[in-house]
Amino acid sequence: MHARDIMTTDVMVCHPEQTVAEIATILNEQSFRMLPVVDAGRRILGAVHTLSVLSSLVPGYIVEGYLKSIPYAPDIGLLRKHYKDLMQHQVADVMDRNPTIVHADESVLSVTAALITYDRFEYAMVADADERLVGVISSSDILRRLAHDPQEPADDA
Amino acid sequence: MHESGAVHAILGLPPTWIAVAILLLVYGVIMAEKFNRAVLSLLGAGLMVLCGVITQQQAIAGVDFNTIGLLTGMMVIVAISQKTGMFQYVAIKAAKSVKGSPWGVLVMLSVVTAVFSAFLDNVTTVLLIAPVTLLITDALNVRPYPFLFSQILASNIGGTATLIGDPPNIMIGSAARLSFYDFLVNLAPIIPVIFLVILGVIWFMFGRGLHASDAHKALVMQFDEHEAIEDVALLKKSLFVLFGVIGGFTVAHHVHLEPATIAMFGAALLLLLQTFGQSLHDKDHAYEAIMTEVEWTTIFFFVGLFIIVTGVEHTGVIEMLAHQTLALTGGDFNATVGAVLWVSAIASAVIDNIPFVATMIPLIQNMGPSFGGPDALEPLWWALALGACLGGNGSLIGASANLIVAGFSQRAGHPIAFMTFLKHAFGLMIISIVISHTYLYLRYLLS
Repeated sequence: MHARDIMTTDVMVCHPEQTVAEIATILNEQSFRMLPVVDAGRRILGAVHTLSVLSSLVPGYIVEGYLKSIPYAPDIGLLRKHYKDLMQHQVADVMDRNPTIVHADESVLSVTAALITYDRFEYAMVADADERLVGVISSSDILRRLAHDPQEPADDA
Repeated sequence: MHESGAVHAILGLPPTWIAVAILLLVYGVIMAEKFNRAVLSLLGAGLMVLCGVITQQQAIAGVDFNTIGLLTGMMVIVAISQKTGMFQYVAIKAAKSVKGSPWGVLVMLSVVTAVFSAFLDNVTTVLLIAPVTLLITDALNVRPYPFLFSQILASNIGGTATLIGDPPNIMIGSAARLSFYDFLVNLAPIIPVIFLVILGVIWFMFGRGLHASDAHKALVMQFDEHEAIEDVALLKKSLFVLFGVIGGFTVAHHVHLEPATIAMFGAALLLLLQTFGQSLHDKDHAYEAIMTEVEWTTIFFFVGLFIIVTGVEHTGVIEMLAHQTLALTGGDFNATVGAVLWVSAIASAVIDNIPFVATMIPLIQNMGPSFGGPDALEPLWWALALGACLGGNGSLIGASANLIVAGFSQRAGHPIAFMTFLKHAFGLMIISIVISHTYLYLRYLLS
């Protein structure tokens, strides 16, 4: 079983010069948690996740600082204040520039290993030999496939 | 092998030149900040031995294991204590005690920083207090710079007060056989005076311009300090060990114990208590996690530095420098104390005060005979401690804590420019040295 056998090919994408407001609308309306970011030639540049948008709303001193948790802090209006600013920014400012990228001919075992090793966002972009986006695999795609095909077929099947 | 240690020539060059060249090269490259300072100091130390300036035995004997042990022990204790959330608890409690008034918050957070810095590592203190400060200034909707500026000064001023407050004091205490109690009696009294004067000037500079609306102050009052405490059991254990260790320091010299012994014992005890009752696997895991938080870079930096300075000292250069200094001050004790204080302050504003103090210690020890023995040197040690610790306030690169706070401020979207800090801080540093000079004069020199 290869990546191309389980990937979703009908993928909505976005471009780095779009505003965060535009893709936030798409993420909201379609209930997506991730959009691949590609250039005009569909080459993969990164990915925007709901989490990467959220993390841009929290000040760096909380994210990178020594405050591992702040259960003592009330809502001091930071999220809303930063949300308004962030919406004017470009996708390039918030995107994850190192998404997990796998190739269409990789085994599902390898895709699974890549997901659990590198990705905190549960998605792998599937690329062709020229690094162009051909599909997306989520962790639930793999689990669903395993549930439906209990007999894992051999790679050459 | 040169058992006598008297080396006459290395590669045809006098060993003095080699030793001084290694010292200057290492210090120079450390200042350029292109390489890790621990790596550089260990390379320099290795060269001292490889070039034959000192033997391996002399190198090992030159390492001050009191300083190393005290630093490591306190680092372990702090690494465990900071997990309890007590720093955040105290910071929030302090900010709420003044009802969220901006100037009150600035003063209270500076006091908290100064007190923690007096007993714990300055860098850890600001690492934990600065982010809470930024949260509070965001809630108050005021710019964080005056708050962070004041905390930088407070951490260096507070750190000057005790033997364990700042690495230069640890080194001085160990080399000059001055106890925790000696520091408390001789240095601690002047620190509140300096601190209050500096706060007064900060009020004129920034404090009177700080305003926040009642709505914003009310937000500060919504912070819940009780939520900051993450582990009550560990908090009790940490406080038990912390107070035990500090109590131990104050009586150490009566029972002929080095502070390093007490710190290391406290560290081991807290490591044991921290995981008491857990499985062996969990204990090992917790132990490994704490050990990675010890700043090994600093520890190895010290080891290398001690060996480099031992090498230079061995060649007699430092003794010569001591005589030259005395020639410059005309052998006058008052003038020498003043010179040590001011040179240390200016030097520490520009370079790392740790290598500076490491070099100054043997230099001052070599002045002993001229002033009537080691006991007569005490005011010189206090001058060195005050100059080296307070001098760190002179510029943004004067102390590690300054750079850590600047880093946080940048991430909060309020970068602190080198020149801005210099403009605001250098004058305040000079004020603190003038107060120190007056204090030293009145207390030790007026007779």
